[in-house]
Order: sequence, then C-alpha cells, then structure tokens
Amino acid sequence: MSRNVDDLFVYPGQVIDDESASVVRLVRQWADKEIISKRMEYRENYDKLFEEKRRKLNLDLGLQKLVIPADLGGFGWNSLSNAPGILTILTEIGRADAALGVLSASTCTALAMIAMEHHLNKKLTSAIAPAFAGSTIRTPCPILPGPGIAGTTHPLFKGRAILAEAKAVKDGYIINGASLRPLFAGAMADLFCVVCAGKNGKPCIAFVPADAQGVTRSSPLLTTGLNACVNTDVTFHEVKVPKENVMEEDGIVEEFYIWLNLFLGGVSVGAALNFFELISDWGETRVIKGGTTLKENPLCASVLADVAEEIALARLLLFDLAQIIARPGEMTGSSITRTFTFAEMIGSRAQQGVLRAINRGLELMGSAGYSKEWHVEKHWRDVKTIQSVLCGVGAEAPVKMDTARFFFNCTEI
Amino acid sequence: MNHFDEFSRPEEYISPFDKHFRRLLRKTLDEFVMPYRRKYDEDWKDHHLIEPAFDKLMAELGLQKALFPQKYGGWGLAQSDYVFRVAYMLCEELGRADTGMAVALAVTFWPLLVIQVEPYVNERLLAEFAPMFCNATKAVFAANAMTEPQGGADIENLGLLGGKTIRTTARLDHDEWVINGHKLWPTNSAGVSKLFGVPCTTKLGSSDPNDFAFIFVPADLPGVTQGGAYEKAGMAADKNGDIWFEDVRVPSWYRAHGPGKDADAFYQLISFGQVGSIAFLTGAMLNLYERLYEFVSTRTYNNRPLKENDAIAAIIGRIAGDIDICRILGYEAAMIGDRRNKPYGRPLISEDLVGRIRNIKDFVSDRAVDCFGKAMDVLGLYGADRDWDIEKHWRDIKVVQLWMGGKQLCQMESARYFFNCKTL
Repeated sequence: MSRNVDDLFVYPGQVIDDESASVVRLVRQWADKEIISKRMEYRENYDKLFEEKRRKLNLDLGLQKLVIPADLGGFGWNSLSNAPGILTILTEIGRADAALGVLSASTCTALAMIAMEHHLNKKLTSAIAPAFAGSTIRTPCPILPGPGIAGTTHPLFKGRAILAEAKAVKDGYIINGASLRPLFAGAMADLFCVVCAGKNGKPCIAFVPADAQGVTRSSPLLTTGLNACVNTDVTFHEVKVPKENVMEEDGIVEEFYIWLNLFLGGVSVGAALNFFELISDWGETRVIKGGTTLKENPLCASVLADVAEEIALARLLLFDLAQIIARPGEMTGSSITRTFTFAEMIGSRAQQGVLRAINRGLELMGSAGYSKEWHVEKHWRDVKTIQSVLCGVGAEAPVKMDTARFFFNCTEI
Repeated sequence: MNHFDEFSRPEEYISPFDKHFRRLLRKTLDEFVMPYRRKYDEDWKDHHLIEPAFDKLMAELGLQKALFPQKYGGWGLAQSDYVFRVAYMLCEELGRADTGMAVALAVTFWPLLVIQVEPYVNERLLAEFAPMFCNATKAVFAANAMTEPQGGADIENLGLLGGKTIRTTARLDHDEWVINGHKLWPTNSAGVSKLFGVPCTTKLGSSDPNDFAFIFVPADLPGVTQGGAYEKAGMAADKNGDIWFEDVRVPSWYRAHGPGKDADAFYQLISFGQVGSIAFLTGAMLNLYERLYEFVSTRTYNNRPLKENDAIAAIIGRIAGDIDICRILGYEAAMIGDRRNKPYGRPLISEDLVGRIRNIKDFVSDRAVDCFGKAMDVLGLYGADRDWDIEKHWRDIKVVQLWMGGKQLCQMESARYFFNCKTL
C-alpha cells in the first residue's frame, strides 16, 4: 500500500469539492517543500524561517484571506459547507508546524465568527477584510473564559469565568478586563477576539484591535510548546470599540468554541500525521534484540497500532464534526447547543487521542523521542499545549458538564 | 493534609540518616535550585546557572563523596544496609526540585556502585578514584557510557542478550586495555564527566558473560573524544552527547572485577537505576501536589474553588491518591534492594528482583505521565505556563519513563519474572 498518509488514514474526501482539493494540494506541496523536507534547517533557524514560511503561506499562497468573502477580496470560503475544506487545510499546515497551524486556525476562527454567511457581520468584515487581504501578516488571538479568582463572583459561560466586560455606551462599547490569558499568541496579536460579559452578564464576543488605547500586555510567557506563538497576559482598560465589534447574538460564544475545537483539532491531527511518518521511519530502521526490526516485534507493533488507531479515529471524528457544522441549520437557533456539545466532545476526544498517540509512540523512540534532532518532541509539546489550553480550566470537567447538561437536562451543575 | 511530607511511606523502612539529612538537602535545594530552575531550560548548553548549584550540592554539601568508604574521606553509604533507601531519599528530594539535576547527580554514583557494593568491591580502584571525588572543591561527575548507536537499550537487556550486541571492544595489550567504540546519550557526557564506566566486550558478538567487561576510563585520556550536548525537550541539567573511544589505553586493573563478575556487578546497576528513577518521579510528584494545591485553592469553576467542585475534586483526588500509592511503592522498591543480603531477600543480580523493581518503575512512570498531563489540564489556560512548574516536570518525567530501555523493556522483565518467559 502507498505510504501516503491520505491513503492510510481514510477520510470522507467526497465532502471536499474540486476547488478546495486543489488548495489542499497546494498547501501539502508547501508543507513538504518548505518545511518537512528541511526539518533540520527549519529547526536551527526557527525564528527567522518561521516568519518566512508564515509569509509564504499567508501572503504568497494567500491563505490569510481564505474565509474572507470573495466580494471583499478573499477566497470566499465563508460558507458552512467549507468547514471540511478548512479543516483539511489546517491539518496540512499542522503536519508542517503546529505553531503555524494554530495561528492559521486562529485567523480562520476570527474570520468565521464575523464573515460566515449565516450571520455575516458586514460592517466589521468590511472593516477588517482589507487588512487580511493585504500584504501584511495578521494575527488574531482568542481569549476564552477560564478559571476565576477565588473570592470573586464572576459572570459565567457554562461555569467558566468571564473576566472581561463589554459595556454598551452611546456609540459603541467599552471593554475592560485585567490580566486576561489568551489561548496563545497574545504577545503577537493585532486583534483580540475576547469573550466578554455583556449586559446582565450575558456572554458576547468583542473584537479589540491590539493598538487601541488602553490595551497593555505583560511580559512574554515561556510555555511548553507553540513557542513561536508567543503568549502574554493582556489587560483592557476602558478600551473603546465600535458597536459592530461586539457580537451579542444568542449562541455566538458557543460558535466560537465550535470553530476552535474543529480547527485546532485539525492542527493537532496534522502534527500527529507527521509524527506517524517519523515513527514509521523509526520502526522500519531500528533493530532491537540484536536483529529484529522494531515494527516486527509484537509488543512494539501493538504500540504502533495504538498510534495509528488514535490518529485515524481523531481524524474521522473531526470530519464528522465538520459535516455536522456544514449541515443546514446546525449552527443556528436551538441546534447550536447540540453542535456545541458535539464540538466539545469531539474536540476534546480528538486532542486526547492525538496526544495519546504521540505519548505512546515516544515510548518506542527512547532518547530520540525527546531529542530535538528527531522533531517528534516538538509535535508532542505543541499538541499538549493545544490540548491543555483548550480545556480552559478543570481538565475535562467543564466538557463533561456541558455534555451532561445537553444529554440529561442537568440544570444545576 | 497540611504538607506534602504527609504522603505515605512505610515509616519502618526509613533510615536514621533520613530525617536530618533530608532537611539539610531540602534547605540547600530551596535556596540554590528552586529560585532558578525556571531558567534552566535556556541554560542547557552553558550551565551558567546550573553549575553553581551542582557545586553547592556535590562539593560543598559533599554528596559526591557519599558512597566512598570513610577511610577514603567518604560517608560510607555504599556499604550501608540502607543504601537503596538513602538513595531514594536523595533522589526524591532532588527530583522535587529538578529531575534533570537529580539524574546528573545520581548518575555520578552509578558507575562507582559497580566497585562499591558487596560482594563486588574493588579496594584498589576505590583508593584510586576516591581522591577525585572526596578531595574536590567543585562538582565532579562520572558517567556510565552504556548506550550504543545500534540497538539502543539492548545493553540493558542483559537477561536476554548477554551483551552480544555490544560493539565497544576491549583488547588486552600486555598490562593495558585498549578500548574502541562509540557510545551515545550517557548522562553526564558532553564534557561533563571526569570518569566513565564503560561496558564493553572482549569478544565481539559473544553472549558469554565472561566476555563482558566493565572498564573505567578517565575522560581526559588520549583517544577519548566527546561531542557537544544534545538539545532535548527537558532535563537541561543533564547533558548528553556522543563519546568515541579510539585506541584508548587504561591500566589492566581498571577493569572492575574480571570475567563473569563484571557482568554481575553491572547487572546490579539496573535496580539502582530503576529505584532512583522511581524516586525522581515521586519527588517530582510531590512538587506537582504543592503547585496544584495552590492552583485549585485559588482558582474557580462555577464561582467555587476548583477543589470544591465534585467533578474536579475527583480528578485531583485521583492525582493525589496516585502520588500516595506511588510513594509507598517507591519505598517498597528501595526496600527490595536493601533486603539483598537478608535471608528473605534476593541478590541484586537475580532476575526476580530486577523484574519486580522494573515492574514498579513501569507502574510509577505511567502514573506520573498521567498525573502530570492531567494536572496541566486542570490548570487549563495556565497548564503550559512555565511559571506553574508542572509543565517542566511533565517534559522531564517523560524522559524518565523512556530511559533504561523504557516501558517495553520493563514490561518484558516483569513478564519474565511473573510468567517464567524464556524467549522474550
């Protein structure tokens, strides 16, 4: 059988149209040519090459404007039916570098929130689109609810503390929030997409330009992975934004989580696919017990099987989620809660599965597993970072509560 | 529970040395390691921050002479009835602070144990090497140069392979051994060590224990070449690199014990290494508890402290429970080692003992990997943040799971013991 990962890890390719497939092919070529075939060089000059590759991806290939409507200069992938296509592209980017992947996922999420046909925010999209369709790299950054501070009563989104506030004023909103922790890239961001408490504590999303007056950032953080997506805490002090920058529709925060789970899942599966390629090579070339190829030892083979199984299932689940999203009516009205629940379940399961695949695979690689030279440790750190930050707070507990609420009508948890 | 020291351990196993020395060691670590450890990752190459801490611990506090007999200026621990349990205490305290530092320090003991633990004591070599460690005012390191490019941890699979995959050779030329070969990844390589213990073969491809040799090689001899340190996911205080031996000549009496005995004395190291590894893990887990306790007490979900939410309490309760169980098991593993000379114990060279200790190491490794991963998830947005320390341990303790043949060799050694497997 061909060793092409797409032949090995089947997915419902029929949901991707020809146009999308050609973009996916282009990104695959970019990943192979620019990064995967030059891993060592890429690692050794990471800071410089990361920016260079990011420019190529976002500006030369134009992926930064993927979700911008066509009439505003974008690719026009702003229909829910594009969800599988976007997922596939993010998987391809994640296969090359998860850090590049999460930045692209962040861009796609931010733009999906305002530009998707089912709730197009024409004014904000028109204001933002030129920047994303232009010649400068743009970096949106998500800030979700998370842990609250003991002794303080916070507005909540399904139990998670909302630490930012959006107060309506005559011609817009005033945003406040201290020491907010973005998912990633807070230090690089030029646009914050922050979940705030609006009127009566109702969750909403504010789009806050990083150069607005009253935005400050603390020192850069050192983190487990995604080291190119430098993060930092962010404070908004009386930051004024136009009215269209705040989205208050019912289900809007749920939708934010849906896109993040889908897209970040795609990035992690991409990293896992490259991990699969690397460990396949390892299993074929390493000999144990004085003569047996690693993959031919029954115990090692069972570990390799775990690796493949987790990746395959995570990929399939994410495509299922993409197809749920693409189905008419699933992202609006009362259906959004169901889609949100499935996104949370699938997103969480996919991240855990991918991490388990890498964790198990590392067991076979000994010191090569944690040596930077072999590249797998970066995938491991990056995926763990994505998985942990997506939990938000309390490990799997919030997702379990969301799931129980939906399936069992729990009202007090 | 008021303090992490209250995690269970069998009190009747604790050595008299434990209480006072643990306090002194912890004080040193709190003063010279804890405040700086978050910067160790960036110091992996130069050890500007790490080296002074080693000097404090190994030279000033004197840990590097702990094994040597008192008559050579040491503390005489290698021949104590408590050697495993004292080693456990040391490694646990060090692991709480930094498992990379813990392994670098403990591995200095490792090759020296081959000539220090009854019944395999080589007085001449002890007298030869003691001044190097006991009279020094700076940290002095040793290394076990075991792993080879082909076959990885095969060398630690002596039970099955008997050393037949070893490619590093020792040839006797009059009164000198001539050593040739390539080792990679030893802890304390990349220019750190002054002394190597080198497992090698006197007959290429032989699985006869008589052809296995363990020879000491001072690092500054002609023909010894060391590469630079590998960059790794964690454990910055532990440097690893390549070592090449090209016609390196050492006196014939630098061989540990001679045909047959070298293999047995070397095999003893497996259990020391595994017990030390368990202690690194439980030490790190104690620190996990400290940091997690703070987070779950000060942060909320549903406007209640995380620890007061039933679902989250179940998760952190499991983590603490695992720490408790792992620590009990760790001390039991140390006790298995310290029963080596008792009528009801097993010698360190028995496969039974190795299998049982490897089994505990495998179990504790798995629990540690799970606990740290889960704790990062409890911290959520803060889980990957260096300032909370848990992510650093998460990176480091994975290395502990992978080394010395990793999980799969542990599983095989366990199966050999429990099911009398003959061909694994």
